[in-house]
Amino acid sequence: MFEGFHSVLRLAGLKVGVGEWLTVTQALDAGLIGPSLKEFYSTSRALVCRDEADYDKFDQAFASFFQGAALPTPVTQMLQSWLDDPLVKPPLTPQELEELPHYDLEQLRKLYEERLTEQTERHDGGSKWIGTGGTSPFGQGGEHPTGMRVGEGASGRGQAIAAARARRFRNYRDDIVLDTRQLAVAVRRLRRLERKSRRLELDMPETIRKTAANGGDIEIVERPERRNQARVVLMLDAGGSMDPHVRSVQAFFSAMKQGGGLREVEAYYFHNCVYADVYSDMALLKKKPLAELTRSVPPNTNLVMVGDAWMAPRELFSPYGSIEYGTTDEVPAIDRLRELGAAFPKRVWLNPIPENYWGESTIRAVGEIVPMFPMTVEGMVAAVQVLLGRGDRVAKRAPKRPWPAPQDLW
Amino acid sequence: MSISRQSSLPAWTGTESYIADESLQAIVNVGVGLGRPLLVKGEPGTGKTLLAYAVAEGLKLPLITWHIKSTTRAQDGLYLYDTVARLNDSRFGDHDVRDIAQYIKLGPLGEAFARSQAGERVVLLIDEIDKADIEFPNDLLHELDAMRFTIAETGKEIRAEVRPIVIITSNAEKELPDAFLRRCVFHYIEFPDEGQLQRICRVHHPDVDEKLLAAALRKFVQLRTIPDLRKKPTTSELIDWLSSLRLSGIDAAKLEATLPFAGVLLKQENDTQRVNRASSMRR
Repeated sequence: MFEGFHSVLRLAGLKVGVGEWLTVTQALDAGLIGPSLKEFYSTSRALVCRDEADYDKFDQAFASFFQGAALPTPVTQMLQSWLDDPLVKPPLTPQELEELPHYDLEQLRKLYEERLTEQTERHDGGSKWIGTGGTSPFGQGGEHPTGMRVGEGASGRGQAIAAARARRFRNYRDDIVLDTRQLAVAVRRLRRLERKSRRLELDMPETIRKTAANGGDIEIVERPERRNQARVVLMLDAGGSMDPHVRSVQAFFSAMKQGGGLREVEAYYFHNCVYADVYSDMALLKKKPLAELTRSVPPNTNLVMVGDAWMAPRELFSPYGSIEYGTTDEVPAIDRLRELGAAFPKRVWLNPIPENYWGESTIRAVGEIVPMFPMTVEGMVAAVQVLLGRGDRVAKRAPKRPWPAPQDLW
Repeated sequence: MSISRQSSLPAWTGTESYIADESLQAIVNVGVGLGRPLLVKGEPGTGKTLLAYAVAEGLKLPLITWHIKSTTRAQDGLYLYDTVARLNDSRFGDHDVRDIAQYIKLGPLGEAFARSQAGERVVLLIDEIDKADIEFPNDLLHELDAMRFTIAETGKEIRAEVRPIVIITSNAEKELPDAFLRRCVFHYIEFPDEGQLQRICRVHHPDVDEKLLAAALRKFVQLRTIPDLRKKPTTSELIDWLSSLRLSGIDAAKLEATLPFAGVLLKQENDTQRVNRASSMRR
C-alpha cells in the first residue's frame, strides 16, 4: 500500500536505508501502527528520521506522496540574500490594495516558478519580481493582499495565502556544511594530556610497589589525573562580509567550545582584518590591544582564525587601512598578522569561502602568513594536523596548494 | 529480534498528570512493540525526562534511572568491580574474599537486564545522553542491541529475557553517532500549543482562577514570541510562575501591563532587558 513512499523519502533527501524501511513494514505487519493515516505519519516519521532537522524533509515527502503536492522549489541562498534587510515602504490605501491583481494558489505557483527562472538580481519595492517591500506578489515585507511569502524575514500584510515554506519544522533544517560532531572529533585531536590536574587518582602500580615494600600493609599512592592542556585562541571575523557564513561559524564555534574538551578557548573578534586591537565581544566594544594579547599568551597556545580574508588590498597593505569607524592603526594589517604569527608558532586560518574561489586575492597574501584551510571537515582535519606540527602530511595529501611550513616564511 | 507485539502490555495512553498527544502515544507503543530504545529530544521543559516516569506509571512497571554526566562511561552502566573494598576486606574484614561476585555492583543498565532476566519487565531511563563523551553512545551499542553482557571477573552472563523499555533523552548538546541513531525510534517533542498548555496548567493547578490562567497564558505565549531570547521560558517555569502568581494573590487585570515575578520565567539577565525593551516599545 505504501510502495514508492520509500523512494519519495529518499528523493526528499532522507537517508532511508533498507533497514529503516523494513522496520516500518514490520511494524505495519505486526499491527503496531493503527489504521489512521495520522498514526502512520507520526510512527513512520519516528522510525525514519534521526533528527528533528529531518522532519521538514519528511513532511514534504509525506505531503507529496499522500496528497500529490509538488516538492517545492528550494529557495536558494542567493534568493534569500535578496530578501535580507527588506525595504520598508509606507502602507497602501485600501483603494490601491483593491486595484492589485488577485491570484489563486495555482496561478501563484506558476508565476513564482516563472519568476524564479527569469530573475537574476535583487529587487526592492517593485511590483513584479521576487523581492522585499512593494506590491509584487512574491517576496516578503510586501503589500500584495494575496501574495506569496518567500524565504524568512519580517512579513508585511500578513495576508499571504500561501507561505512557500510554511512547514512547521523548517527552522530545524540543518544543511550545514560542517557536521558539528565530525568537527568535534577533529578538534579533539588537539588534545595534550598532562598530569597537571588538582584532582588525584589512584596510582595502581606505585600502590602495589609501596604496599609490597611495606610488608603487605596497604599504602595508597595517588597522582594527579591526566587533563587536556591544549589551549586555543579563536579569532573570528565579525565583519559584514561574513554574514552569509554565520551558521557554519556558529557550528564551528560550538564544536570548539564544547566538543573539544580543551583546557581553554578564548575568543576574540575583529572586522575584516586584525588591526591594533581585537575585541572580546561581537559588537566590537570591549577592546583588547593586540600587543597585550600576544604578550600574555601561554606558550604552545594554538591560534585559530576564522574569516573570509577577503578585502580591498589597501585594507591589508596600507597604513591606516581599516575602513571601520573609530579604528585607526598606522601599522598595515599585514604587519599585524606577522606580529600575531611571531607570537603563535602554531596557527591556522579557516576560511568559509570555498577553496576554488581564493585565487590571487588578499586571501592568498593572508594565507602566506597564517596557513589557510577551507572551513569544511576535511579542511579542519588538515588544519589540526598543522597545529600538531604534522603539516608535512597535509601537504602530501593536497598537492594542488602546498602551504609553506610556517618557519620558512620568516 | 522478534517484532511481534508484546501482548502482555496494554497500550500506553499517558497518565493523569502527563498529557501525551496521540502521536507520542503511538510512538511509545511502536517503540515498546519493536523493542527498540526510544530517543526523545525537544526544548527544555517539554517533558522528555518525565515521559519515562509516565510510561512506567502508565504501564505499572518499575523504573530504573541512569542520569548521565560528563564523566559517565558506558562501563558504569553495566557494573563496577569494587577492588578497593575487596582489598580492604582481605586485610581487615572477616569476609571470604574469594567470592568476587559480592564486590560486583550492577549499574543501572546491568540492573535493568538482571531484573528482566528474572522475568520482570522494567523501564530504563537514560537521561541526557548527550552530556557524556561523544563516543559514549557507540560504547553502548552492543549491549543495547544484544541486551546482554558478561561480567569478565566472574564469567557470569547477564541477559535480559524480556526487553526492557529503554527511553533515552537528549538535549542536542552534541550530535549522536549515526549507528546509534539507526537503532532508535526518534521523537521530537514539540512545544505545546496554547490549548495543550491550558490542559497542562489545569492538571497542576486544578482550582486556578479562569481569568488568571487566561491572562497568564496570554502573557506567556507573548513572551515566547519575542525573538532572540537566549532561554525561552518553558512549561515547568510557567507552572512555577502560576504558583507564584496565585500565592501572591495578584489580580488578573494587573498582568496586562506588568510582568510580576519575571525572575521565575526569565533566567538570563540579557533576556530580562530584551523583554523590558520589547514591552516599552509596545507601549
